[in-house]
Amino acid sequence: MSLKDSMDPRIEELLPFYALDALTDEERELVDSYLAEHPEVREQMKDLHAGASALPYGVLPVVPPRKVKESLMARVNADAKARVYSSTPRQPSRPILPGVRGENIIRTFTLGVATLAIVWVIILNTQISQLRNEISGLHETLAAQSSSLEQIIANLPKSPPSNVITVSLRGTNVQPRAHGQLVVDPNEQSAILIVSGLPKLEANKTYQVWLINGGAPVSAGLLSIDENGQGVVIVTSNESIGSFKALAISVEPQGGSPQPTGDIVVSNDL
Amino acid sequence: MASNKNATDVSVRINSEGNLMDAPDETLAIQVARGNSAALAVLYDRYASIVLGISVKVVGDQGLAEDVLQETFWRVWQSAPTYQSQLGSFTGWLFRIARNLAIDAYRRRNVRPQAISSADDSDPILDEIPDPNTDVAEQAQSILKNRQIRKALASLPAVQRQVIEMAYFYGMTRQEIAEATGEALGTIHTRARLALQKLRGEFERDEFEG
Repeated sequence: MSLKDSMDPRIEELLPFYALDALTDEERELVDSYLAEHPEVREQMKDLHAGASALPYGVLPVVPPRKVKESLMARVNADAKARVYSSTPRQPSRPILPGVRGENIIRTFTLGVATLAIVWVIILNTQISQLRNEISGLHETLAAQSSSLEQIIANLPKSPPSNVITVSLRGTNVQPRAHGQLVVDPNEQSAILIVSGLPKLEANKTYQVWLINGGAPVSAGLLSIDENGQGVVIVTSNESIGSFKALAISVEPQGGSPQPTGDIVVSNDL
Repeated sequence: MASNKNATDVSVRINSEGNLMDAPDETLAIQVARGNSAALAVLYDRYASIVLGISVKVVGDQGLAEDVLQETFWRVWQSAPTYQSQLGSFTGWLFRIARNLAIDAYRRRNVRPQAISSADDSDPILDEIPDPNTDVAEQAQSILKNRQIRKALASLPAVQRQVIEMAYFYGMTRQEIAEATGEALGTIHTRARLALQKLRGEFERDEFEG
C-alpha cells in the first residue's frame, strides 16, 4: 500500500496549504498532530515546502531607495548604543563643551542645580519630621499585629514544605509597560503565568509563551489578554520548568508559530 | 571603491573582523543576535530587494512596502536571539516575517493588492538595476536565481499559479480562494498540490542543468 493510499484524505488536502502557511488555526493544529504521529509523511511535506519556499524568489526584486537603509541603520545603531549603556556602569560625566562659552554654561547650570538642591533639602527635612511621627505610630500598631500573627501561626496546622517560588517578569523595549509573575514549583511541569500591561492584539494575532533552555525555544502555550491588558495562562512543558533558563512572550499569527517570528514583548531569565 | 560608499557601508567593512561580506546567512544571524549591526547591514544588502519585492506585491503601494521592509529588518534585529537555524533557513524565517508584516499592513490599510500577474508584466531592466551599495557578484547571482524561479512559475498553468499566490502572498485560506475564484474546494486542493509539485520538479531539473 502506497503512502498516498494510507494517508488520511483530509490531511492530504491540507498539506499544500500547510506548506504555503495558509491554514486556519484548527487546520494547522490538525496537521501538526498528524505529522507528529506519522513521520513518514514528512518527506512529502519536505517536497511541498521546497516548492513553497521558492515563491519569495519568484517576485520581481525591487531595489529599495537608500533612505530606507539609512533610516533602519540609524534606528539599529541607536538601539545598539542604548543596549551598551544599559549593560555597563555609567561613568562620571565630563563637560564636553570646549572653550569659555561651554564653561559658563556649565557654571550657570551647576549654580542652578545647587539652588534647587538647597530648596529640596529644606522640603525633605520637613517631610522627614512628619514621617518620623507617623512611623512611631505604625511601630506600635505593627507590634500589636505581630503578636496576633504569631498566635495565628502557632494555631495553624502544620503543612508540608512548598517549593513554589514567584519569578518577576518584565517587558522588553517593545512593551516596557508589560510586567508579570510566574508562580512555579521548579520541579513541576506546569506553572501559572500572570501578565499585565500588554496591549490587546488584532484578531489575527496572539501572544505565545516560550520556554528556553539554550536550544530551540519550546512553545508553552498561547496567552489571551483581556480589555485591561491582563492575562493568565497555565504554562505547560514536557520537562520540569526548572530545567529552562528563560521565558519569553512573542506576538505571533493566530494559532501560534513553530518558533518565534514576531516582537518579543516579555523576556526574562528564570 | 570604498570612497563611493556611504558611512554605513564603510562601517560594515571596518567592523568585520572576519569576512562578514562572505559569511553565510546563519553566521550573520548569530552576529546580529550578539548586537553586531554591521552583520545586519550585510543581510539587508543581500535580501532587501527581495523583501521589498514581496511587500510591493502584497500591499501594492511602494511607500507602505518600504515601511514593511524597514520593519522586517528591525524585527530581525530585535528577534535574532530567538532564531534557531536547525528549525529552518534564515531566508525562510526572514521572508515569513516580511510576508506576515505585509499581509498585516495590507489588511490595515485595505489596499487593493496588485493584480495577480504573469511573471513578465513589468520592465525587467528597470526592476533589476542593482543597488550601488550591494555586492555586484552577489546581486548577479540573486537576479539569476530570481529569473530561474520566475521562469518556473511562468511555466505553471495560470490557474495553478493563481491559487498558490493567493495563499502565500495574500494569506488567503482554501475556503477564501474557492469563494474568490468560484471553484470547488477540491479543485483548489488539486491545483495547489500540482503547482507545488511542479515547482519542485522544475528546480530539480534546473539544478541538473546547472
